[in-house]
Amino acid sequence: MTDSLPAPSVGEPVEPGRQETPTGSAGEGLSTISRATYVREAVLRNLFLVCACVAVAGVALIFLFVGWRGYPIFAKVGIGAFLGGGVWHPTQGDFGILTLIVNSLLATVGALVLGAPLAVGTAVFLSEVAGPRVRELVRPAVELLAGIPSVVYGFFGLVLLRPIVAKVFGGLGFGLFTVWVILAVMIVPTIAAISEDALRSVPDGIREASYAMGATKWQTIWRVLLPAAKIGIIDAIILGMGRAIGETMAVVMVAGNAPVIPNGIFAPFLTLTTVIVMDMPYAAGDHRTALFGVAIVLFIISMIFVASIRLVSRLGREVG
Amino acid sequence: MQSRERISKTLTNTLALGVIWLAAIVTVGALGTILLYIIVNGIGQLTPAFIFGWPHGVNMEGGIWPTIQSTLYVTTLAMLITTPVAILAAVYLAEYAVQGRLVSTIRFAADSLASVPSIVMGLFGLAAFVEGIGMGFSVIAAALALSFLMLPIVMRTTEEAIRAVPKYIRWGSYGLGATKWQTVSRIVLPSATPRIVTGVILSAGRAAGETAVVIYTMGTMINAPVLPTQPGRVMPVHLMLLAQEGINLPAAFGTALLLVLMVLGFNLTARYIVRRSNKGMQR
Amino acid sequence: MTHRRLAAVLLVAVLAISHLTGCVGKATGAAQTELTVTGSTTILPIAEVAADMFHAQHPDLRVLVAGVGSSAGIESVVNGTSDIGTSSRDLKPEEKSLGLVDTPIAFDAIAVIVNPSNPVKSLTTSQVAQIFEGTISNWKGVGGPDLPIGLVNRDEASGTREAFSKIVLNGGAFDPKAAVLPGTGQVRSVVAVSPTAVGYISLGFVDASVKALTIDGVAPTEKSVADGSYPISRVLHFFTKGQPNPLSKRYIDFVLSDAIQQDVVRAAGFTPIKKGAK
Repeated sequence: MTDSLPAPSVGEPVEPGRQETPTGSAGEGLSTISRATYVREAVLRNLFLVCACVAVAGVALIFLFVGWRGYPIFAKVGIGAFLGGGVWHPTQGDFGILTLIVNSLLATVGALVLGAPLAVGTAVFLSEVAGPRVRELVRPAVELLAGIPSVVYGFFGLVLLRPIVAKVFGGLGFGLFTVWVILAVMIVPTIAAISEDALRSVPDGIREASYAMGATKWQTIWRVLLPAAKIGIIDAIILGMGRAIGETMAVVMVAGNAPVIPNGIFAPFLTLTTVIVMDMPYAAGDHRTALFGVAIVLFIISMIFVASIRLVSRLGREVG
Repeated sequence: MQSRERISKTLTNTLALGVIWLAAIVTVGALGTILLYIIVNGIGQLTPAFIFGWPHGVNMEGGIWPTIQSTLYVTTLAMLITTPVAILAAVYLAEYAVQGRLVSTIRFAADSLASVPSIVMGLFGLAAFVEGIGMGFSVIAAALALSFLMLPIVMRTTEEAIRAVPKYIRWGSYGLGATKWQTVSRIVLPSATPRIVTGVILSAGRAAGETAVVIYTMGTMINAPVLPTQPGRVMPVHLMLLAQEGINLPAAFGTALLLVLMVLGFNLTARYIVRRSNKGMQR
Repeated sequence: MTHRRLAAVLLVAVLAISHLTGCVGKATGAAQTELTVTGSTTILPIAEVAADMFHAQHPDLRVLVAGVGSSAGIESVVNGTSDIGTSSRDLKPEEKSLGLVDTPIAFDAIAVIVNPSNPVKSLTTSQVAQIFEGTISNWKGVGGPDLPIGLVNRDEASGTREAFSKIVLNGGAFDPKAAVLPGTGQVRSVVAVSPTAVGYISLGFVDASVKALTIDGVAPTEKSVADGSYPISRVLHFFTKGQPNPLSKRYIDFVLSDAIQQDVVRAAGFTPIKKGAK
């Protein structure tokens, strides 16, 4: 162990966040740890700090590299024209991504409308309704759903779902409807896991009080628990939204990829994410730069989602 | 009057619970449908020739071994890169950090990294590692890009694992005169190891299924890489290309099944470790 | 823990350095044993089979083949990333001055395909153009049932799309509302399942699940392609920057040899460039 014994008061825990190690806190005159150990501890501490900052470095680097490769398009076309332009026809010099933004939003909102109730329902099921044995079956199933790679979802959508949609609704089977179904299933595990956590952290006493007043289970869930877990559930939904808007592989195989706003839910459309994966193989020059520009827009959108979650959480805590 | 209210209350309750059951059934049903469909269509493909053979011919007949090797290689390398950094970062956040602006920023950054759309990460890898540093399409470029994706996941699970170690264990250690680092390295981390390992394995499962990140950093050439500087094609990319070409669907199903089995394997291993450690912890 | 991290950093550094020196080694021109062939997804099957057979005959030589689209293939041979760029379309005017040398390796016809249940069997080139431009959007406009046309297009990276656009649309614009699919097989499987769908694929990939239309009175067969009577056909190219380097030449000669031309090219559904060709 150490070469000389430090002497903190027994029973006084060294809290993380206070001054680091039991050095000197017991006062002068008592022997402290050796200088070598002190230096080593300080070096280690800074090493860990550096590692923690890798995350920050990562975000900065992404901004740096993708932004550096993408910003020329903003300079050339103008941010307003880029974000607000409605025509994406790169081979003719049109770089407006408004259509893509609208399409991404359409896909995401629809997926949420389908997926959020499904997910929250599943979360309520796991937290309130299911017996322990059923829970042991369903929760692993939800986690498994989270683990399936998005390309497998896309493949499934392509070979099974799309022909069914085509057969039932006519047309080619591509379009918003198919995308909504696939995306909804994909975001269920994300939203359900966090919602379930939120529901579980509501103290049992509240449930018991509600039952004691004669409320049925559903009344308890609807009027007491869900409102109490509201912040967590909203967080979950925002997270699900972020996941949906950033999804590429599952969407590109069932969306049909036409760079227009679809007229109907069974018409092909292109989104911010699928435009990159479709065009990147052959894009050159300004086109390539524009795709990096789209990537930066996507990155900023995802960071806005993260910031919103923090904001909602903080507001929730203040309101109590 | 009262009994009518009670009937309607009970009726609503039953209906609502029915709907909730329905939600759970739909969710599980969706999983079951996807898995069953892939298993039924892919199981016929899982012959040793398929798993260990190379693709050849006009329509990629044969096997998919190079893609399996590429996947395992890049996932392992990404794990090796991420794990030390993530663990040390989590140690900092859990043991040393003072709540303040720096920690807030770090957490915000970690959350942002976790939410980055994978295609953006792929373009980042292309711009930074493949073209910027000049690694070209290679396993190492893909592993570095993947490690940024895995970092927040492992950081979070490790931090939770560390925090789950009871305080009294640390007190005992400090009471015996250990320094902080000694406590962390010899007491806290070993005790948190099962959970940490679980987190690493789960994130590896995520990395194995990544398509968009790898396609722009490792390329699409059929190759069984030996050096990390070589390109390769991983299983998700192979699946995507097979699906897009649409010519050899049986091979696509086989690839999908193997991929799902691999990810399942990661998940189940992680659970098994947690369950075993929980049993061990019970006194 | 720290040691492991140090080791990881050192490992990465060593590998990065060795890769850079490896790059230098290649540039100073050791005898080339690896050939990079990039480009058209249509030509990909031929290139890959030929690469396999070539490697079987010359075990010390390797040919790496990637299918990313004709445009990407041309770009990569221009900027030196590949030795050979394969393309299923001709060079654009602005590409003609880049010093590329063309070796045609096969003929290909583009078939317009519809679902087998579609009663329409034959169209004129101008009708096809109007359909794909979006001017005609209902099957009854060409003598079919009263159903909206499900238009299926290829992605812009596709040489097949480029060739189709040049030959049929005369440079006109595709209907932007059309579904854009990134692979030949996908076009085929979508058309095979949807009764109202119409698309175009290389004749070599037509099978019993779809019906190929007669265009301007000529049905697409190997004979009508070879003698030029089928209107929608094109040349498949191998491009090199300047004359092919020794290894490229060996590979190209191999692809032009009868072993590949009569067997592999035919098996892929294309028409050999030499025997019986124009």
